[in-house]
Amino acid sequence: MDQLPNLGREQEMLSIMGLKSIDELFSNIPEEVRRTEPLPLPPPQSEEEIWRDAQHLLGSNINLDSRPSFLSAGLSRNFVPTMVGMLATRGEFLTSYTPYQAEVSQGMLQAMWEFQTMISELVSLPISNVSMYDASTSAAEAITCAVRVHNKKATQKETIYISELVPPHRMSVIENYVQGAGINIQILKHDLNGHLDIDSASIANGSCAVYVEQPNSFGILDEGLLKLKELIGDNTALIVGVDAVSLGVVSPPGEWGADIVVGEGQPFGIGPTFGGPIYGIFACTERYIRQMPGRIVGQTHDSNEKMAFTLTLSTREQHIRRHRATSNICSNETLIALMGAMHMSLLGPDGITVLSQRVAASTEVTKKALQSIKGVELVHPNSHNFRDFVIKLPGDSGEAVAFMDSKGVMAGLPLGQWWSEMSSCLLIGCDERTSESDILSLVSGIKEWIKEVES
Amino acid sequence: MDKRGGILSDIFAFNGSSNAGWSQPKPILPISQIKETVPQSMLRSNPPAWPRASEPELVRHYTWLSRRNFGIDTGFYPLGSCTMKHNPRVNERIVNLPGIDRMHPLQPEHQIQGILSIFFEMQEMLAVCSGMDQVTLQPVAGAQGEFTAMRCIQEFHRERGEGHRNKVIVPDSAHGTNPASASMCGYEIIEIPSGKDGRIDLDALQSVVGDDTAAMMITNPSTLGVFEPEIAKASEIVHSAGGQMYYDGANFNAIIGKTDPGMMGFDAVHYNLHKTFSQPHGGGGPGSGPIGVKAHLAKYLPTPLASRRKLNDSDTQGVGDGFWYSWITPEKTIGKVQQWHGNAGAVVRCWAFYRRYGRELERMSEHAVLNANYLRYKIMNPDPEVASNIHAMPLDGAPTDFVMHEFTLSMIQLKDKVGITGKDIAKRLLDYGVMAPTLYFPMIVPECLMIEPTETESKEVLDQFAKDFLNILTEDPEIVTTAPHTTDVGRVDEVWAARNLILRHPGNHTVQD
Repeated sequence: MDQLPNLGREQEMLSIMGLKSIDELFSNIPEEVRRTEPLPLPPPQSEEEIWRDAQHLLGSNINLDSRPSFLSAGLSRNFVPTMVGMLATRGEFLTSYTPYQAEVSQGMLQAMWEFQTMISELVSLPISNVSMYDASTSAAEAITCAVRVHNKKATQKETIYISELVPPHRMSVIENYVQGAGINIQILKHDLNGHLDIDSASIANGSCAVYVEQPNSFGILDEGLLKLKELIGDNTALIVGVDAVSLGVVSPPGEWGADIVVGEGQPFGIGPTFGGPIYGIFACTERYIRQMPGRIVGQTHDSNEKMAFTLTLSTREQHIRRHRATSNICSNETLIALMGAMHMSLLGPDGITVLSQRVAASTEVTKKALQSIKGVELVHPNSHNFRDFVIKLPGDSGEAVAFMDSKGVMAGLPLGQWWSEMSSCLLIGCDERTSESDILSLVSGIKEWIKEVES
Repeated sequence: MDKRGGILSDIFAFNGSSNAGWSQPKPILPISQIKETVPQSMLRSNPPAWPRASEPELVRHYTWLSRRNFGIDTGFYPLGSCTMKHNPRVNERIVNLPGIDRMHPLQPEHQIQGILSIFFEMQEMLAVCSGMDQVTLQPVAGAQGEFTAMRCIQEFHRERGEGHRNKVIVPDSAHGTNPASASMCGYEIIEIPSGKDGRIDLDALQSVVGDDTAAMMITNPSTLGVFEPEIAKASEIVHSAGGQMYYDGANFNAIIGKTDPGMMGFDAVHYNLHKTFSQPHGGGGPGSGPIGVKAHLAKYLPTPLASRRKLNDSDTQGVGDGFWYSWITPEKTIGKVQQWHGNAGAVVRCWAFYRRYGRELERMSEHAVLNANYLRYKIMNPDPEVASNIHAMPLDGAPTDFVMHEFTLSMIQLKDKVGITGKDIAKRLLDYGVMAPTLYFPMIVPECLMIEPTETESKEVLDQFAKDFLNILTEDPEIVTTAPHTTDVGRVDEVWAARNLILRHPGNHTVQD
């Protein structure tokens, strides 16, 4: 209630208008839809009480930093530089809205133009928008965008191909987003090494798009994908979902034929935050620019020929094009993208390389350590992995995770949650913060559990 | 030579040594072994050409940028339809707690009882305020909420064997997201004209409904800031044709505790938490767009929903309220629209905001409506002395005695008389240190300015805005049509931007010359 500066001054304002009560202002709401009872909610609280309750409730959660954790599965237990939170929450950024009035929004516009440049550099494609909601809606809208661009010439009309290893929650988002456009989803298979069955991938030639992830959901870096664009041809969009951090060491998809690159921006800028707000990366070649979703900032000049920035290509968007818009997106994730830009600029070219190397190193060391445990098998022993890898346990992996949870270790994601046939498999996620002592805790936890199972 | 000069603070021009940037621990393997973890052909040859800058340089760069940006904290922000209210700062403090910032959406239930209890409380609160039966917090923006609700409605029709219903009705004054969201679901859009008074035209509605009607999408109060008195009749017309009623909650700030979409006959509704419950707008997002539905649509909602039961003896912990919280999956769920549980951080902020009002949320709406009517009154009733100098008065966007939380003004008389457009007024307001209202929306009002002061502005701010606004109407048209004059840059050439499409920095050097 302390948010109302005119509390207690209602009569003063009403009398200026020649009115007696606030109720008169609501007189256009007919009786039959008037609420008569007060809202059945608790009484108002002070800031101090809210802070107390927030500390109590959120403090009862167990957070990732409080124990060794190998739960990743698409989000990163990152470390965000202190500068990021402090500057992004400056009120001029935090409390602004979409920069429709460019003359008083040059700060955010320039920051987003710089963000576009950094994403463009990261994935090696010329164009980036200022963010989507998350990696999944980015992938979904990349697909609908590609169909609009390629369908006319496609021999497999309204058809796209998706890797079977796209995790089910992302697949579900994609299905929801593409069904309205009548898009038919075909599945691309993988071999036992977790690599795309590249020999059969040419069946996608003539379709509108192929969506694959590099690394895939098992963390596997698939060399075969470098040949994919050649197999599917020029009129089929190659859409690649990336782990943004991997691109410090792994070659960017723009260099091996990707037409659109999407991915989760979260590792740059914000903690895992229970899954949101995070932001999706969306970058593409010129060919897609007029069909792409989301906001874009362009350079221009003002009436005095001074350099300036503005939102551009708005004619694609819902507020102008309405039902013919390329997307319904309006509110996006700009502030989180700003945090990403700050994090990326602080890392710089050297910092991203080191960050990426740290994740690669953690993955390799953890993998080696688990491989040496009797009873544990690497499901894809011949693969190169980044961040994630899969092990097979002598029993239900959900039970193993629960056992290790009781010992204070978050052991990863039981893959039965995603694919029922993988109920003995565990997805181990590593990150730059994985320490040797975390790995020792995981190893001894798994050993203990195996002993328990076998006895 | 580029006459336009360059960027005054060019982040890509910073090019310090590799040690100047941010330090981090070393990898736990030697570099030579790390390279073996990536197939040889896949190693990146050159790092991205990001800035090479130190923290001192970047802090100054971003502080400089922030000073070239206008937020609610800078000044009055009457951007109609966007509900730019003050954002309480404790909310930012709360989301920095590790119990939200450092949480993973796939953690087991016993580790997330606190956040689940907040989710549950928010689901219940939103259902109560809107007269709906079940709420999901998963959609991350209003537009995604619309899309999600239309997907649920689509599945509802399909399951009843009425998948042939392929048309969605929207008034011509609707937000652009309404038709865009329905269209993404594969629906055909039927746009109906508003009546002369800007309100819904029931005859026009009656003439387009039929057995192909899937739903109607409408906001109430309308985008003109006017309550639709015949909304219950509109619901009846759509329902008797077998369609569903969808409530765009963009204007929910006007009605909490006074009426609700359930009473008006709606089947589904989205809430813009970033508007009504003050998640900061952050230059365009993040938002949060939960939806609420009546019981018959609840089984289609995205998965999962927060639920609770009485604590058992076997439950080891809880949050101390006697309940155990868990995730449940609706029986015929449409699946996911965001890959995790939505913008949880926004939900937590909005929970903290709601707790400030509790059962007094009605006061919030009262003050939003009071402020809008007061400001409208002050603008439309200038002192005689001022009035005599005004070139031409604005016209009410809708003829009504009282508006709700916002109002529209048509500047058409001014344009006809002295050539000052709505856009000119908007740009000139920037010189007075306030944000411009929403411009040229809704499209049915010529030269439209849409003004929404929100409940968090004092009488003095409103008085000053009215004074400045009226003063502009007396100014030399030459000054107004060339505005703004005192901002960081003058009027920006949007056409040049669209023709030239310079969408990124050219490279690791300064842009100029």
